[in-house]
Amino acid sequence: MIPLDHFLIVSALLFAIGLYATLTKKNTIMVLVGVELMINASVLNLVAFGRYDKVLFGGQVFALFVIVLAAASVAVALGIVLQVYRHFKSVDPTDFDSLKD
Amino acid sequence: MEQFITHKVMLVLALIAVIAPFLAFLTYALGGKRQKSGVVSTVAIAISLLLSLFLAISAWNRELLHVRYDWFTIGTNTVTVGILVNNLSLVMLVLVPLVALPVHIYSFSYMKGDTGLRRYWMYLSLFCFAMLGLVVADSLFLLYMCWELVGFASYLLIGFWYERDAAIKANKKAFLINRLGDLGFLIGLAILFSEFGTWDLAQLFGHDGLIAKEGGADASYLTWAGLAFFLAAMAKSAQFPLHIWLPDAMEGPTAVSSLIHAATMVAAGVFLLARVSPLFNDTVLMTIATVGSITAFVAASIALTQRDIKRVLAFSTISQLGFMMVAIGIGQIGTAIFHLVTHAFFKCLLFLCAGAVIHEIQHQKEKHKLQIDPQDIGLMGGLRKTMPSTFVLSLIGAAALAGLPLTAGYLSKDALLIFAFEWANYQAGFWVFIPLLLMIASGMTAFYIARWLFKIFYGQNRLSLSIGKAIHYHEAPVLMRWPMVLLAGCCLFFVFSYNPLVFEDTWLLNGLERTDLLQRVNIYHTVIPAAINSVSIVLIFLAWRWYAKGKYPLKGSGMLYDWSYHQYGLNRLYEKGVVKPLLFVSGALYRFDVKIIDGLVLLVANLVELSGRLAAWVDRYVLDGAVNGVGNLAQGIGMLLRNGRKGKVQRYLLGMLIVFLLMIIYANFI
Repeated sequence: MIPLDHFLIVSALLFAIGLYATLTKKNTIMVLVGVELMINASVLNLVAFGRYDKVLFGGQVFALFVIVLAAASVAVALGIVLQVYRHFKSVDPTDFDSLKD
Repeated sequence: MEQFITHKVMLVLALIAVIAPFLAFLTYALGGKRQKSGVVSTVAIAISLLLSLFLAISAWNRELLHVRYDWFTIGTNTVTVGILVNNLSLVMLVLVPLVALPVHIYSFSYMKGDTGLRRYWMYLSLFCFAMLGLVVADSLFLLYMCWELVGFASYLLIGFWYERDAAIKANKKAFLINRLGDLGFLIGLAILFSEFGTWDLAQLFGHDGLIAKEGGADASYLTWAGLAFFLAAMAKSAQFPLHIWLPDAMEGPTAVSSLIHAATMVAAGVFLLARVSPLFNDTVLMTIATVGSITAFVAASIALTQRDIKRVLAFSTISQLGFMMVAIGIGQIGTAIFHLVTHAFFKCLLFLCAGAVIHEIQHQKEKHKLQIDPQDIGLMGGLRKTMPSTFVLSLIGAAALAGLPLTAGYLSKDALLIFAFEWANYQAGFWVFIPLLLMIASGMTAFYIARWLFKIFYGQNRLSLSIGKAIHYHEAPVLMRWPMVLLAGCCLFFVFSYNPLVFEDTWLLNGLERTDLLQRVNIYHTVIPAAINSVSIVLIFLAWRWYAKGKYPLKGSGMLYDWSYHQYGLNRLYEKGVVKPLLFVSGALYRFDVKIIDGLVLLVANLVELSGRLAAWVDRYVLDGAVNGVGNLAQGIGMLLRNGRKGKVQRYLLGMLIVFLLMIIYANFI
């Protein structure tokens, strides 16, 4: 039986990698990949903690929900990225600066 | 009850008589430039005359008519306004329109063709209103207002021909000297009001009035009040040494001179003194008598040598006013008023005659284009033949002025002189100088008026001689002649008394004085008239020989002659002693004003400006600086904080992460 710590360490690494990608990548697609990594890190956490619920399998069920939601959000996000690209002719998130005054 | 109604009706009539000329004045004032005919004025004054005659007949020697209403209140003293009609006012109420009506009619012809006719009638009506108001006013305050108004009307009429420099100078002089007198009046008013708290004539001077009770008033104050009123009368009635304005006032139209500056307005001073006579104590009375006698003498001596036809009459007026003042001073109010009335008639007549002569000579001057003074009696002469009516009328006027028997002037002048001698009997010895001065003045009067008459009407036609061309004079027009005839009628004795030689029977005198005074108590009543008239007749004969026959023995120069001709040098004295110092003082004050006062004001202004600038600086740089500083600080902080936000999405995310981590650290470890 693999102890819980191993899952959590892998999950934390995954989250950190995702976060790093989200904050530093110069490509919006890669930022989205970072976001997906962070979501999957949380899914891993849900599944790992799910071993303590052997009756209802709430962790696993929630993980399924999150995977579906992540897929949907990626679809939407990619749509947005396409529109943004049309507007800015760029996928570099540093170019999206129309929020500043 | 019936008595009450008649009283009321009479007062209303008196009021209408006063107001009628005022309405005429308004007609001219508001009527525009087309109102040029004198009919309105003349009708108004005729109405006044009729009403006042009716009043005089029905109210003579009755109890006084008096009505008054509250006007305004100062503190606890209420000033009233109203009408007071007693015998004194009745005399004046009849006299003023009776003299004014002939003058109005005369003016139709005399002023014909003048460009300022509308102004002329307007001013004349204003004057008549003011004069009538003056005689019926029941309060000294109202009297004072009318007093000022007659002075103002006189000012306007003296300067009627305002394009003449001399007229403007003359009316300025008259106005200034009258202001001096008005000052006296004002002081008198102030003293009376502070002592008694009222100006009502009946309350002050009535039989049981405040003055008669002699309570509550300081005697020295009353002396000052009396002297103040006398100062007012001196200026208005041209008493020495304030008489100098009256001869110059002859610059006005002659009809005006006759009405205002001979018959009525100048007599207002005498009338005022008669009105307030209970106020006077011995000091004031002696002053009045002294000044009056000096005036009578000085003016008569100046009249001896004057060459201007109107100036002789002007000085004669001053002299006669001096006579009236003496009458007031010796306590003979009735005699003063009696002389005032007779003088008004004969002096007005003389002026109108002079006007007729001037009018004719002016006419000839324009016809022949001569360069002469139409008022110089040296150029007249021989007018008796060509202007016989004017001559006869002048003769009547002159006889009345000289006080010859059968004239009204005889009655009043003799009454005056006799009373003066009687009065001197009761005084210390030296006071006899007053009747003596009057005697001499009276003799000079006979001489100068005879000279005036003979120079104008007798002898050769000197104007024809001097230009070497025959000049034919014509008689005065009808409209000028008949008014003079009316006045000449009033100069005769039968208007005043059935007895031509004895003044004691005069109804006017009996109406104004207590009759017990009017007895022939001593020898004066016979000797004085006889003496005066013999002296007068001798002097007139002398004048006849000198001026009519041309046997003039003197050389017409010399110190006394010059002294008299230059009016005792008084004008020069005033010029040097009063006008120049006043001008100097006013110049000095002007410089003081410009240099010192204006300098101070400018200094203060500069200081204020400086402090203003300082305040502005403080405002701009200190107060505004603080406010702006706060604003700038906020802006600066805002800018500083804004600098981190560059629109980089990932930076925002990093910021959120850091904050999140800080919150976790804060929550769990601190």
